[in-house]
Amino acid sequence: MTALPPNLAVDPSPDDVGEAPRSSLLRTLAPGVGLLVLFGGWEAYVRLADVSPLTLPAPSRIFRHLGGDPGFYVANGWVTLVEAMVGFVLALAVALAVATAMAHSRFVERATMPIIVLIQSTPVAVLAPVFLLWFGFSPAPKILVAALFAFIPFVANALTGLRSVDRDTLELMRSVDASRREILWNLRLPHALPGLFAAARICVSLALVGAVIGELYGGSTRGLGYQARIAQSRSLVDQLWGSVLSLALIGVVLTLAVMALERRTLRWHTSQSTT
Amino acid sequence: MLVRVWTSEEPPTVEIEDVDKTFFDHGRRTDALRGLDLTIAAGEFVSIIGPSGCGKSTLLRLIGGLIEPDQGRLAVAGRPPTEGRSAKRFGWVPQSPALLPWRTVRQNLTLLPRLNQSQGRGPVADDEVDALLDAVDLAPFASALPAELSGGMQQRVSLARAFALRPPILLMDEPFAALDEITRAGMRFLLLDLWRDTRATVVFVTHSIEEAVLLSDRVVVLTGRPGQVSDELTIDLDRPRAHGVQDAEEFHDHTVRLRASLNKAAEATHTIPGPARHPAGGGADGARSAEAEAVAQASAPAADEAGATGGGAAASGRR
Repeated sequence: MTALPPNLAVDPSPDDVGEAPRSSLLRTLAPGVGLLVLFGGWEAYVRLADVSPLTLPAPSRIFRHLGGDPGFYVANGWVTLVEAMVGFVLALAVALAVATAMAHSRFVERATMPIIVLIQSTPVAVLAPVFLLWFGFSPAPKILVAALFAFIPFVANALTGLRSVDRDTLELMRSVDASRREILWNLRLPHALPGLFAAARICVSLALVGAVIGELYGGSTRGLGYQARIAQSRSLVDQLWGSVLSLALIGVVLTLAVMALERRTLRWHTSQSTT
Repeated sequence: MLVRVWTSEEPPTVEIEDVDKTFFDHGRRTDALRGLDLTIAAGEFVSIIGPSGCGKSTLLRLIGGLIEPDQGRLAVAGRPPTEGRSAKRFGWVPQSPALLPWRTVRQNLTLLPRLNQSQGRGPVADDEVDALLDAVDLAPFASALPAELSGGMQQRVSLARAFALRPPILLMDEPFAALDEITRAGMRFLLLDLWRDTRATVVFVTHSIEEAVLLSDRVVVLTGRPGQVSDELTIDLDRPRAHGVQDAEEFHDHTVRLRASLNKAAEATHTIPGPARHPAGGGADGARSAEAEAVAQASAPAADEAGATGGGAAASGRR
């Protein structure tokens, strides 16, 4: 009869249970320590081994370069971010529509499955030049590649979530003759949310990869992928690494944003529980 | 403490005449019910008891209009059960609490009345919800999520949710089976208290002899699969039944009679020949799984719902 405490945990892991304040502090500091070790080790290696900046510039040098022209990276990063996010949202919307149709009809599921397997089995990056041919110098090819990268995890998790609802609960709703739409909104979609968030965590990065691949194939004059390609062809090593680190930062921020939204939305779910 | 929860209409009679139900699952035939006859009077509390896999849950789903009989006639208040389902006449209490984990206790209580308002049976008034929460002693937990409640508290929400519909008939599928004995005893009396004010017709599936005797006006004993009525026992203990009634000699006599009747039904099961005795996994558990699986398949109105429930795999693991 005892009520459990509300679930406000950040990261469910076994050693979270019954933590002392000291270990809680260590846990908070741990990611910073990891990053410090990575960049510290990188810096030390470049300096001690006297590595040529053309091969691998030190992080301090890249950060100095980034600080020297932040507007350039913000402007190009924004282009790539928008392409990735529009692709992400497009993938989510189409995946939800397709998964809903599949969850409601065995025929639609059987008819759609080969297409999904085809998309899953095709290295979708190879479609970037095709989209370039179709849509030319516009954001569309990049958005489409981004969407294709994110589509499969979304559709797979959405379908599982919409389908695997509790039998007793479904029967309960049917006992009052709830409509399919009512069951979808009140049971299936909320039930699919944890899976959709799990997919979203993966798909933000995948959409970013898709947008960058679209830019690498050409048809762009802006974007971090495009700037990385230009930097590589002109041996602008600082710009190349500046683009890489900027993309990494965007990816991390997007993933953290999805996780924050997930924590806020899924307080009821066991994935957000400490016990 | 108790609230007066009105049914929106008079409790109905339930008439079942010569009903057969067979399930087919991947080519496997399961005869769940055969030639079943049963009449339940308006406002009567009837428990259904019988060997594992005898079709008790199937019978409940037939009465609730969730599945259709292959043969025979079923009527609730003289009308087909599907009409009662459309008109939200059934208060369904499943074995698990089946609460939506993302909705608070109050939101779970108000969900079913909000669904299917086609026949003007709409949301419940706030004070009625408050009264129900009070009745099941959960008022302080109105804003809690199901995960914050114990199993017994969750089942109390499930009970209150059924009463929130003000149903003239309650269909209960072993609702207390998963609870510990002490919680279970409390739940039985809570149900009796809630029911006393409504006088709804109740069909209560159970495995417990004591539970059946304590709650019911009449206990219907089914044979093993395919289920048929083997015996009917009238429980003429005075109402309201209070704590301590189980210690009375009369109560004890009823349990002895019911146990003997159940044993007889189980023996009768072994004498039924032919496809009726389908080998569904050998033991009692196998039989239960087969029934659950078959019911899961058949309870879907269309292929999509069968798929939606995860088919037999999900169902067979349910109990």
